[in-house]
Amino acid sequence: MDILLDTISVNTFWTILLIVHALLAVATLGALTHQAMSVAMPVRRAAGPRGFITRFRAVQGAGYATAVCVLWVVTMILGAWIYTKYRIAIRIPLERTGYWKTLGFFELKEHVAVLGLGLLPVYWYFWQNAKNPDFDSARKAVTILLAAMCWFNFLVGHVLNNARGFG
Amino acid sequence: MMARRAKTSSLGTSEAFGTFAVVFAIATPIVYVASELGGWPLFTYHPGVNRIDFGWAAARANEGPAMYWYGWIASTLIAAALLGWLASLLPRRISDKIPLFLIWLLPLPALAILAYVLMPFWTH
Repeated sequence: MDILLDTISVNTFWTILLIVHALLAVATLGALTHQAMSVAMPVRRAAGPRGFITRFRAVQGAGYATAVCVLWVVTMILGAWIYTKYRIAIRIPLERTGYWKTLGFFELKEHVAVLGLGLLPVYWYFWQNAKNPDFDSARKAVTILLAAMCWFNFLVGHVLNNARGFG
Repeated sequence: MMARRAKTSSLGTSEAFGTFAVVFAIATPIVYVASELGGWPLFTYHPGVNRIDFGWAAARANEGPAMYWYGWIASTLIAAALLGWLASLLPRRISDKIPLFLIWLLPLPALAILAYVLMPFWTH
């Protein structure tokens, strides 16, 4: 770590971490959105011309489950690391400038990330048993809920970074 | 609940893992909200001085803020995993009766409660 910080500034280091965190979040968001669309509006027939939306929701959702779990966990670990710096370098200045609602939404984002984490094992299990009709409703609901959580977290993180990022 | 699960040794089709995962998912929002409301983080992290205290600890003067989120996560994961493991030992006739809708339903009131707890941020 010391060698790294001899090469780049502390702000650059945290900015790089934040960008990687954001890129992983984008990947999670894309995978979950595809998957949620595939369960919410499944494509019934392959025949006929396919537009962008049809192709978007025509993915095989099962293929995304493991990747989503790994991405969620890795994104969350990076976010948890950044959170230590955020608490000192970002939140305190934002409190001083009165961004209370932005800060509140960020706190809620952290709660959402944990509740999503708790869903991952069962989400993965349901998708490993995607052909089991007993799990259809629960799999659909859990996937859509995770996608909604991911969108919320992504947007809140984006807005917070606009309010005050590192660097 | 899981009447049609195949009996194989892989994790993805393991009945015990399925029961564990279902109960883990149901327990997480309950334990997390309880940890937050009850002030039961497993540990408290003080980022200003890079110190960890066991359990809940108040921020100290000139040492910056205290962070409980990591401790809440630790408490939640341990308790939910323990409950999930215990549930995985239940006979199938009982575990099959666990309602799956609780998995996606419980996070919603949990979020409402957590948002309410953040009221100072909304009304400041």
